[in-house]
Amino acid sequence: MKPTPVKRILIVVAVLLALLLLMWGTAQAQAVQVTDDRGRVVQLPRAPQRIVSLLPSLAETVCALDACARLVGVDRYTNWPAAVNPLPKVGGGLDPNIEAIVALRPDVVLMATSSRAADRLVALGIPVVALEPKTHADVQRVLGKVGQLLGVDDAQRVWRAIDAGVAAAAQSLPPAARGARVYFEVSPGPFGAGEASFIGETLTRLGTRNILPAKLGPFPKLNPEYVVRADPDLVMVGARSAQGLLSRPGWDRLRALRQGRLCQFSADESDVLIRPGPRMAEAARLMAACLQRHAPGGH
Amino acid sequence: MGVRVPFKPTPVAMARNWSLTPIYWGLGLGLLGALLVLLGLAVGSTGLESLRPLWTGGGDDAAMARQIVWDIRLPRTLGAWAAGALLGLAGAVAQGLFRNPLADPYLLGSASGASLGVAAALALMGGAGGMLGASSTVAVVSVYSGHWLVRLGLTGAAFVGAVAAVLLTLVLARGVQHTLRLLLAGVVVGVVLGACTSLILLLSPDSLQAMQGFLLGSTGFVGWTSCLLLLGVWLPCLAAAWGLSRALDALALGEATAHSLGLPLAPLRAALVAVLALATGTAVAQTGLIAFVGLAAPHLVRAAVSVPHGRLMWLASLMGGALLAGADLLARGLLAPQELPVGVLTAVLGGGYLLWLMHRRTAPGGLL
Amino acid sequence: MTIKSVAIGAHQISAGAGKDCIFQGLSLQIAAGRWTSIVGPNGAGKSTLLKALAGLLPTRGGHVELLGRDLHAWPRRERARRLAWLGQNEAAAEDLTVYDVAMLGRLPHQGWMQPASGADHAAVEQALRATQAWDWRARALGALSGGERQRVLLARALAVQAQVLLMDKPLANLDPPHQADWLQLTRALVARGHTVVSVLHEISLALHADDMLIIDRGQLRHQGAAGAQATHRALEQVFSDRIAIHHVAGQWLALPRINV
Repeated sequence: MKPTPVKRILIVVAVLLALLLLMWGTAQAQAVQVTDDRGRVVQLPRAPQRIVSLLPSLAETVCALDACARLVGVDRYTNWPAAVNPLPKVGGGLDPNIEAIVALRPDVVLMATSSRAADRLVALGIPVVALEPKTHADVQRVLGKVGQLLGVDDAQRVWRAIDAGVAAAAQSLPPAARGARVYFEVSPGPFGAGEASFIGETLTRLGTRNILPAKLGPFPKLNPEYVVRADPDLVMVGARSAQGLLSRPGWDRLRALRQGRLCQFSADESDVLIRPGPRMAEAARLMAACLQRHAPGGH
Repeated sequence: MGVRVPFKPTPVAMARNWSLTPIYWGLGLGLLGALLVLLGLAVGSTGLESLRPLWTGGGDDAAMARQIVWDIRLPRTLGAWAAGALLGLAGAVAQGLFRNPLADPYLLGSASGASLGVAAALALMGGAGGMLGASSTVAVVSVYSGHWLVRLGLTGAAFVGAVAAVLLTLVLARGVQHTLRLLLAGVVVGVVLGACTSLILLLSPDSLQAMQGFLLGSTGFVGWTSCLLLLGVWLPCLAAAWGLSRALDALALGEATAHSLGLPLAPLRAALVAVLALATGTAVAQTGLIAFVGLAAPHLVRAAVSVPHGRLMWLASLMGGALLAGADLLARGLLAPQELPVGVLTAVLGGGYLLWLMHRRTAPGGLL
Repeated sequence: MTIKSVAIGAHQISAGAGKDCIFQGLSLQIAAGRWTSIVGPNGAGKSTLLKALAGLLPTRGGHVELLGRDLHAWPRRERARRLAWLGQNEAAAEDLTVYDVAMLGRLPHQGWMQPASGADHAAVEQALRATQAWDWRARALGALSGGERQRVLLARALAVQAQVLLMDKPLANLDPPHQADWLQLTRALVARGHTVVSVLHEISLALHADDMLIIDRGQLRHQGAAGAQATHRALEQVFSDRIAIHHVAGQWLALPRINV
C-alpha cells in the first residue's frame, strides 16, 4: 500500500533532519573553536595533532591531559615531564625562533599573551592560541580551553585532582601550623607572591596568612623594608633568591630568619612552585612540608 | 688606502674635482649588501639542508622549503638590511645636524619614547594582573582608554612613542633655532621618558622580559609587510636627506656662515629632524633598539673615504645596511639552531672594525 | 663727514648676546667702494657690531640698511649674493675638500638641487688662485694647517663674488707673507668697486684701510680716514696711550709704548 502524501512528507523531513543532525554531529567532532586570552577566536578544522608550546605551564598541561605525544616542539625552559626533553627547543617564550617553529609544521602554537611572535606566526598561517594563567581560576579555565582544543573529554578531572591534592595538603597540616604569617619571594627584586596570585591562593588554602595583601597585586616589587616591618613568621624563597638574604638591610633582625624559619627551595622545586599548571598539587605539598617543618607551633 | 686620489686624466675632471673612489665604495657596499641578502637565504636554524627539497622535488617538503625561503628568510634578511640602511642614514643626518661625531639617531629621545610606547602597550596587554592589582586595573584601563594602544600593536606603539618623544623635544627646545638647546632637550626627554618606562615596568613586572627583548633588538619578527614598510620609508628619507645635504655641508662651516649664505636655517633643520624622527621611528618599531649601527656607519664610511654630505647619505645607508644584514646573518648562523641577540653582534662587528681602522691610523680627514 | 654712497647704514641699533646690551642706539654709515676697518680694545663689541651689520644677530630697536634697502626687506638669497661674511673659528667641516668648501660659497647663486655651472667653477678657481690654494684643492680641510685653512675659508667668502664683504678677524693664523697677500687682495677688491669691512686686531694693517671705525665699550669713538691725524690721535686715546703711531717706510705703524 502506498504511503499517504502526509506520511511521505514526514518521512522526507525525518530523513533530512537525521542527515542534518549527522552533519552537525560530525562537524562538531571535527572542527575546534577556542577563544584565547587575547579575546581572539581561533578555529581549527580538526583537533591539532602537532603542537608547539612556548610556555612551560602550557606544555605541562598538555601532557597532563595525556596528549604529550602530540607535542613536537617546546621552549627552552620546559623541562617536565621527561618525555619533552628530547623534543626540539625552539627558543624562549619571548624570542622564539620563527623558522624553527615553521619547520616543525605545527597545527597550533600555544604561548603566553604578551609576545610579538604571535602576530608573525599568524601572518605565516600558523594558528596561535595565547593563554596565560595567573590565578587558580585561570588555571581551571586554561585547563578547560586546552582540553577543548585537544578534543579531550574530561579536562576538568585534572583540575579536580589538583583541587583534591591541595585540599589533602591542607588537611595534612596540624591545626597549630595554621594562621602563620608567610612571605613567599618569587625572584630577586624582591618580587613577592601576593594573595591575588596562584601561589598566594594556595597558601591561603593551606591556612596561612600572606603578608602581602591582595591590593598590592599578584607579584608586586617590594621595598625590602616592607618585609622587615611586616615581620613574617615564615619565609619561603626560591633557589635564585637564596643568596644574600641576610645582607639585605634589616633582614638579619627578622624573627623568621633568626629562628631559622626559612625554606629554601631547590631549582627543580622552584620550577614546580612558580608554574601555574597541573603540578600545583605538588607545589601545595612542597609548601605544606615546609610549613610542617618550620611553622611556629608546627612541631 | 684612504688618501683620496683625484681622477687624473683630463684637466676638466681635475678642475671639477671628480673622484671615483666614493663611487667604487658605493658599488662595493651595494654588492656586499646583495651578497649578504643571498647568504641570508641559506642560513637559518634549519640550515641549508631544509632547502634541498627545492631541487629534489617532493611536494610537501618543497612547499615547506619555499615557505622558509620566501616567507621567512628573505623578508627577514632584506628587512634587516633596510633597517640598517635607515639607521645608517639617520646616524649620518644626526651627526651632520648636530655637528657632533658622537651623535646617534636616538639623540632626540626617540629610543626612550619607543621604549615607553612598548612598555605601555605591554602593560595594557598584560591584562588584569598587570598593573596596580586586580581591583584598580579596570579603572586604569578605562580612564586612559588604552585600548587604542593595544589595537595599534607593539610596532605601532613603538613608532608613536618615538615620534611623540621627538615632538616633545622640539616643544621643550622651543623650536629648532638652537642646536645646543635641541641636544639638551633631547637628553632631558630621554632621561625622563626612561624613568617613566622604568616606573611602568615596576608596576607591571610581567612585561620585564618582553621589554628586554625589545631593548636588545631583534630582526626575527620581520615579515613582508614590515620589510616593505622599511624599504618604503628608506627611499623617501634618503631622497630628502640627499636633497638637504648641501645645507648640511654649509652648516658644517658654522651657523653664522650658513645663514650668511642665504640658507633658511629653521625650515631646513625642521626637515632634517623630521627625516631623523621618521627613519629612526620606523626602524625601532620594526626591530627594537639596535645600538651602534647609526653611530658607527657614518664613521666607517668617513674612515675609508672623505665625502661631502650628499654622498655620505648614500654610503652611510649602504654601510648600515651591510652591517645589520651581516650581524643578522651571524646571529642566525653562528650558534644555529640558537640565535644570538643581533644588537650584541652589531656592537662586535662595528666596534671591531672601528678598532681595526684606528689601529691602522688611516686618516684622510675623518675623526680617526 | 659726507659719504658719496652708503653700502651699509645702521640707525640707532642695539644688539647684544642674551640679556646684556653690548651697544645701544648706535648709528653709523659704511661708505661704498672703500675699505673700512673696525678696531678697538678687546671686548669693545666689534664682532657683535659686524654680525649685526651682516644681519646675523637680531637687533633690538633700530634697523640696518644694505645698499639703500632695509636688511630684512631683502629676499634671503639676494641678500646672500650681495653680502658675504667671513667669521672666526667656525669651521668644523673636516671631510670636505678645499674645492668643495670654496664651492659652498656659490650656494647663493645656485638653485635648490642645481649642479655647479661653468660660472660657478670659474668663480671658485679664481677665488682659490687668489688665495694661493689652487694647488691643493683636492686635500681635505682637516688635513690643512691653521693658516692654510684660513685661506680656504677666505676663498669661500671670495667665491660669493658679493658686492659687500664683511670679515671678522680674517688674519688669524696667517703668517706675514700671507697677511701681505690679504692686504693686496683687499686693495684689489676695493679697486674693482667692492666694499670691504674688516674687524682687525692688527692695528698696523688696519691703518692701511681707507676708513677706520674706532669702537670702545659699545660706543663709536671715532669715524674717519685711516691716514688722518685725528684718527691716529683717537686711536692712541682709545688704547689709553699704550700705543704710538709712527710713519715708517711709507706706512703708518702702531707700536706699543714700552716704559723703560
